[in-house]
Amino acid sequence: MPGNRTRKSWRSRIAAATALLVSCSLLTACSGPDGAGGDGGKVVLRYTWWGNPDRAARTQEAVDLFEKKHPEIEVQTSFSGYDAYKQKLATQAAGGDAPDVMQLDYRMIDQYASGGVLLDFAEQRSVLDTGEFDAGLLATGKVDGKQYAIPQARGTETVVYDTAQWKKSGVTLPREGWTWSEWADAMRELAERTGKPGATDPGQSEDAFEVWLRGRGKSLYTEDRRLGFTVDDLTHWWTFADKLRREGAVSPAEQTTQLDGTVENTPLGRGRAISDSNWDAPSSGFVALVPDGVTLAPMPSGEDGTPGQYFKPSMFMGVAADAGHPEESVQLVDFMLNDPDAAKILGATRGIPVNETLRESIAPGLKDFDRTVYDYQASLEGDLDAPPQAPPSGDSALQTTFQRDYDQVSYERMSPREAAEDYVTEAKAELRS
Amino acid sequence: MTTTTDTPVTAPAARTTPAKRPGGRQREGAAWVFLSPWVLGAAVLTLLPMAVSLYLSFTDYDLFNPPRWVGLRNYTQMFTEDPRYWRSVGATLTYVVIAVPLQLGIALVVALGLKSMRRGRGFYRSAFYAPSLLGASMSIALVWRALFNDGGTVDNLLGTGGWVNRPGWALFAVALLTVWQFGAPMVIFLAGLQQIPTELYEAASVDGASRWRQFLSITVPMLSPVIFFNLVLQTIQAFQVFTPAFAVSGGKGGPADSTLFYTLYLYDRGFVASHMGYASAMAWVLLIVIGAVTAVLFRTSRTWVFYASEGDR
Repeated sequence: MPGNRTRKSWRSRIAAATALLVSCSLLTACSGPDGAGGDGGKVVLRYTWWGNPDRAARTQEAVDLFEKKHPEIEVQTSFSGYDAYKQKLATQAAGGDAPDVMQLDYRMIDQYASGGVLLDFAEQRSVLDTGEFDAGLLATGKVDGKQYAIPQARGTETVVYDTAQWKKSGVTLPREGWTWSEWADAMRELAERTGKPGATDPGQSEDAFEVWLRGRGKSLYTEDRRLGFTVDDLTHWWTFADKLRREGAVSPAEQTTQLDGTVENTPLGRGRAISDSNWDAPSSGFVALVPDGVTLAPMPSGEDGTPGQYFKPSMFMGVAADAGHPEESVQLVDFMLNDPDAAKILGATRGIPVNETLRESIAPGLKDFDRTVYDYQASLEGDLDAPPQAPPSGDSALQTTFQRDYDQVSYERMSPREAAEDYVTEAKAELRS
Repeated sequence: MTTTTDTPVTAPAARTTPAKRPGGRQREGAAWVFLSPWVLGAAVLTLLPMAVSLYLSFTDYDLFNPPRWVGLRNYTQMFTEDPRYWRSVGATLTYVVIAVPLQLGIALVVALGLKSMRRGRGFYRSAFYAPSLLGASMSIALVWRALFNDGGTVDNLLGTGGWVNRPGWALFAVALLTVWQFGAPMVIFLAGLQQIPTELYEAASVDGASRWRQFLSITVPMLSPVIFFNLVLQTIQAFQVFTPAFAVSGGKGGPADSTLFYTLYLYDRGFVASHMGYASAMAWVLLIVIGAVTAVLFRTSRTWVFYASEGDR
């Protein structure tokens, strides 16, 4: 009997251990790779970004070159559209599984830096050379005096239009310093003469609203991180957009609701409008979608000529605070920003490079859309006001709320004022917390 | 071990169950071993997160900074200050009321059709069941979005424009995806139908009852436990619908919040706006509501569900 007993418990112990192992592997299956390991002792880094297929192809090419120069490092890449990227990164970061190297938006820095997700680049000062960067631009990646993100390029907004169709319509072409009311008239005329809406409904875009607001001498946020505008301002903007939409001068709600941050799903990208307001570098995606090519024009100014658009650090690179290989991760950042060969490959796919020496050296060689972006930015050089400080952390969520509240207006379920009141209430709550 | 050594056993019994008695003990141990993945899983993956979520529902938690205790604020905000919350409640209830009866109705009709089929029943049963296997996947939901988008198949055939971009229609596109997966309740209905003794129908025919009369007086009462089971199951699932709504609405519950189902808004609050405390509070309210609805269903079931064994009393 005692023998029997020991045998039994021995057997059940084995079984229990096996069961435990099985369930443990189930548990850990979720946590994924932590950067270590890989084939043949290679260092494996994860690098993620958002963007269009053109950017993806060129980024991959640059990464391949990096791997060639550093045979001991393997870089696993992934990319998606902005909306999807934003959600995925937030989930990964919250789960302590942020990619080693990540592309960040101006809106994300405050949130991730204060949440302890990002590495302070001062810890790897010897690996990353920022000597060639414009100090003012570099400062946009700082939170509480620490460099958590490195601006990768600068960009500005643009009215991007179908060159052939606009010209054929005979409507006066956009010029620098045109006002919002001139823009609205142009949209009406375009709609009348081409039978298509002139532009994407700007009401859904917090970015366009910001340009309009700055043209009126206000801002989205005050310096102490409160809302910089009132219900009246937003009502004014949404009434403006609502009226144009009802007249058919800008895209209908059914089109606008499909916007998800990719150029493919904009009315211009689908051939359902003549123009779109977008960021300059991502507009390269339109080249493949609009058969006769696109032109970049400045955003409208305030009625007194105050420019609303500004040069913004278009995106940043950050490294995870808990990256398995911080040094190699920062090496990749350095390569993407400072390597002349990488700069040649990347061109202006993320905007014009921030490394000033590289900017000058690649400028003559820029071609196609990169040249377009470069010339567009050059045409605005010196004319724009300074950028606002990094938006407070609630802004990322508010951007979505902005679209949603305007959806209520464009589907005619709320008046512009009702929606504006909703938005301001939610924004105040969001910024307070 | 005490049971095996202390309990005297009679010879014949010992002969028939000699290995069984000590084995019973052994089996109990083995049972726990085999259960352990589930028990551990339930404890670590279900009970623990539930407890944490209950705690979080009383806090302000943005995923990055430590949770801050706010008492009932999440709950009061939800009920009194958040119009979008109530829109999500409205969308969910509309969906449940449309999708569940429609799905069960179709499942029952098809099951009745299959039951009277003499040949090829196996084939059709599998064919109708297939969508239930596929339907939960993201890819089908994406195909659904493409079908019902403007310029999609449905738009081209019916000229209705893109359903998924019209506030009044988008919810139906999502509901249709659920209804299309009627295979799972259908299989259960079919099994239930085959349990009904044929003598009942034979006796009814002899008495001259019409087909319709037989359906009302025999099929429905005899099937009522199965109907009840399906109703409870599908209602609970419908309240928690997420994947199809997420994909079909492009992840935003649009247009104009018309497909902003409860779980979608919960996800939005938690993972997009980083208000995990608020999202946790929403989850607990949902749990309580589903519990209450299920309890009501059980309560009403006394009046319409017929268990054959009751006939003996």
